[in-house]
Amino acid sequence: MTRLEHDVAEWAVELTDVTKTYRKGPIAVPALRGISLRIAPGEFLAIAGSSGSGKTTLLNIIGGLERADGGNVLVEGKNLQHLSSGDLARLRLRRLGFIFQAYNLLPVLTALENAEFILLLQGVPAKERKERVRKLFAEIGLVSLENRRPGELSGGQQQRVAVARAVVAQPALILADEPTANLDSVTAAALLDVMGQLNRTHGTTFVYATHDPQVMERARRLIRLHDGHIASDEARAGHAP
Amino acid sequence: MMGVFLLVKIGWRNLWRSPGGTLLTALALGLGLTFVLISLGLLDGSHEQMVRNRVRFGTGHVVIQAEGYQRTGSPELLLPAGIVPKTEAYLRADAKQLVSHGVSPRLLASGLLTSAANSDGVRIMGVIPKEERAVSLIPERMVEGSYLTDDQLSGVVIGAALARKLAVKVGGKVVLMIQGVQPSGTDTTDAGKGEMQSALLRVSGIFRTGVQAVDAHVVQMPLSEAQALLGAPDRITQVALLLEWEGDSVAVAQGLRKQLTDVPVEILSWREAMPSLAQIFLLEEGFNLVMNGVVLAMVGLGILNTILMRVLQRRYEFGLCLALGLRPGQLAVMVIGESLALTAISLALGLVIGLSVEHYLATWGLDLRWFFQSSLPASLVFDPILYSRLSLPRIVSSVGIVFLTAITISLYPALKAARTELAGALKLA
Repeated sequence: MTRLEHDVAEWAVELTDVTKTYRKGPIAVPALRGISLRIAPGEFLAIAGSSGSGKTTLLNIIGGLERADGGNVLVEGKNLQHLSSGDLARLRLRRLGFIFQAYNLLPVLTALENAEFILLLQGVPAKERKERVRKLFAEIGLVSLENRRPGELSGGQQQRVAVARAVVAQPALILADEPTANLDSVTAAALLDVMGQLNRTHGTTFVYATHDPQVMERARRLIRLHDGHIASDEARAGHAP
Repeated sequence: MMGVFLLVKIGWRNLWRSPGGTLLTALALGLGLTFVLISLGLLDGSHEQMVRNRVRFGTGHVVIQAEGYQRTGSPELLLPAGIVPKTEAYLRADAKQLVSHGVSPRLLASGLLTSAANSDGVRIMGVIPKEERAVSLIPERMVEGSYLTDDQLSGVVIGAALARKLAVKVGGKVVLMIQGVQPSGTDTTDAGKGEMQSALLRVSGIFRTGVQAVDAHVVQMPLSEAQALLGAPDRITQVALLLEWEGDSVAVAQGLRKQLTDVPVEILSWREAMPSLAQIFLLEEGFNLVMNGVVLAMVGLGILNTILMRVLQRRYEFGLCLALGLRPGQLAVMVIGESLALTAISLALGLVIGLSVEHYLATWGLDLRWFFQSSLPASLVFDPILYSRLSLPRIVSSVGIVFLTAITISLYPALKAARTELAGALKLA
């Protein structure tokens, strides 16, 4: 067992008084001002807020893409503040999945190759990789597109491939930054259906940073950020995804 | 390992995102290799031609002479003529018969050549005409009369400058005065040894080589005549060997040293026998090295610029890869893999173009007569058509140098990629 393959923690994510300030020359721009929150395994959670409220920064800090200036960031019980860059890279590879707003895929790889990218880096044998990706592609309607490159796919199809890539390695936590921002409402709804289904069937924790009312509507928990603070944190019966 | 394969695959495909740019960059590096191959081929070819010409006016590719002759030039240091068949036997053995072109025994001495009009000091070469033809260029540079023949017992051929000074023409008479030698290890009571000897000779031919020292001072005559005049029957000063390929000279010299152990001889390759010529070649090779270095540096900077631009344009992708769990070192491997692929294409292009041009230059040569035009002398020391000669080690070393240059150059962009600032790069979407 590696140091990152730890015991099951009570919380998928636990933040305590997390702060982050960006510096633009002499000007300090606070992005997060003492955020504390806990996310349970299997949650389907949305973080909403206006532009500049700190959504993406919060997501980046949870995902180990950026380090917080202060406070503690625990993911599955591991404090990211104490991990080296290499350990953070391993954590991202083994335990986390990412879906970004757009241009999410490597343009020179086919849909299948993009989806198996993480599995390949994890050293999963080719046969198993293909089987897992193809099974997932069948679930989310990408079977006929596996040999197409991103430039030959629509925005919705590209995001579905990105979702497949994030999910196929069975991470504990998927962080999605505005995944529906560039999609029309029908495509966005379809994508959310896919992610909701994966959340239900695989028990994967999803955390979204979003402006999209559709995402907020489907989330079972909605956190609103305002100027780097948590303005509200509400559990919702929502529209079951 | 699978990860490395994936990274190299990504690198390869990245190259073809802009095929025009890739091919242009590959062509630049390929042309750099082409330039290196052509310049080395012509340099080696011209050296070979120069060596072939110079050694054919001098000692041959390998010379066998009495020990100490190179240092003293003493006419007393002579070899028994029996050394010639031993040398020929060695060269006939096994594969060595392929390397030998000619074996010419010579008796060398200094003397005074006098005509009715003038006299001058000369360098006398007693030769066997048939053997000398296979080694020396002098028989090919006759401008008047004809070269010596094997059934000719007397007569001399002289250089054009000497003929002009002595005011003699073909058929004219000259008197050669020479001091008889006392070969080391011979009976000192032999008559005529060490005394002045003279002979009346008829000029049978005049040559012009273009080398002043040869045209003004060298006199060739039949070996038997020279031996009789010098009082040294069955003695020679040196055996000059002409080989098919200059590169064999050291090996042949070493082989002969092991073979001819019963006589105190010195066996020298042309580099040892003509050290000043060898030094000129070294200087030229040094200059060529600098020139090639400049070309590679210029091409290298162009490639650095191209790869660096590609890396900077793909910061978002690198950020994405890092976010997905790729380590900075793996990103560097990806960029180096891309450079390796680009280098492989470049080397293939460079080899195809370079070796094609080299083949043309090796077959048809580079004709420099247009360059010399009217200033072309009537008798050249060198051939105005340069032929390329490129050996396999030269090709391998050139490819290796270009390959290492390209890989070294790719290290900086690879480092730049590895240092991609993750959060900042992801904002570039």
